[in-house]
Amino acid sequence: MSGRHVLFEHVLEPGTGKAIELLKGQILRIEQIEGGQCADFNCFNLHDYKEFMHCGRTRTVHGFHPTKGTFMWSAPPRERAMLYILEDTVGRNDVLFPRCSAYVYEASYGFAVHTNCHDIQAEAQREYGLTPDDVHDSFNLFMCTGVDEDGHAYMTRQTTKAGDHVDLLALMDVLAVPNVCGADVMRTSNFSLKPLKLTVFAATTADLAQVPKTPLLSSQRTPKDFRNPTIKADRPLRRDPAYTPEFPNTPIRVTELPVALSADEMAMFRSVKRTDIYGEDDAAALRDLLFSWWEERFLHAHAGAPSIESK
Amino acid sequence: MTETVIRLQLNQQQLELMDRTIARGVAPDRIALVRLAISEYAAARMAETSAKRNDLEPVR
Repeated sequence: MSGRHVLFEHVLEPGTGKAIELLKGQILRIEQIEGGQCADFNCFNLHDYKEFMHCGRTRTVHGFHPTKGTFMWSAPPRERAMLYILEDTVGRNDVLFPRCSAYVYEASYGFAVHTNCHDIQAEAQREYGLTPDDVHDSFNLFMCTGVDEDGHAYMTRQTTKAGDHVDLLALMDVLAVPNVCGADVMRTSNFSLKPLKLTVFAATTADLAQVPKTPLLSSQRTPKDFRNPTIKADRPLRRDPAYTPEFPNTPIRVTELPVALSADEMAMFRSVKRTDIYGEDDAAALRDLLFSWWEERFLHAHAGAPSIESK
Repeated sequence: MTETVIRLQLNQQQLELMDRTIARGVAPDRIALVRLAISEYAAARMAETSAKRNDLEPVR
């Protein structure tokens, strides 16, 4: 923290948000003033708003409660690390819940109008020409959540204090949009709305040195790689009569690979094969074993999650 | 020696992953890779089972 130069300060009043141009190498601190306040956060590539922070990709990589030492990722096919969480004095954030919306407050509480994160985000980003349809699911800072045994997400109260903060380091130029969560009739912010302090710093060399390297892969595609790089500018969807499908690796062709197994190998196979799923279909059970083994031996990330280890 | 033939059904992507694994020197060919998978996977499950059984033993 020492040696950081302050570039911008702003107090987010309850019911408001602020779109901030956060350039690569700058840090946005979102700080509790009184404590007990959830902040919703979203961001876009400042030079191409179609690249945006994606909670789905982020939670797949880092779990439901990303904290210090993790990244905020953009959606496929970009899948780049947009921001790095450099500091988090609480360590409890949420990427399970979407931003709250007017519908919730009307349907469940009867409000004709109520502060809500979707509309606050929309109003803040309107300063940059974005529409309400451009709001994406938010990264919910300081929000205490979990998953019930029945599979439902739940939220509970938080214990943050004045001065608690999260520092987000921009790894690319972004439009960062934090807002004071509008939920005062839920537990999210302990049933009240409080201000939050925003500070933008220039990162120091020591700050930048903390960021782990992430992979640069050919699958991280940008519009120059798209078959259709043009942003659609009107609302109706109409079929392109010239369209011909070009799905990769199609057609999928299945090849038979006969494998002769000894009695010992068959005994080992029978001892572990998933008859509960495949019954007497030994070919399917062996295929399952083969790729389950591969995952165990070679996969560095959770199954289905991209590895972020840099080679 | 009695052998049982299992006819794996694999698509080109699955075969590509096998071939790239073979290219890393893990096994000499596809059949050997499948055999290695069976032996290592079964050994790992047996180790898990042993660990669980030991966990149930009373603490002395």
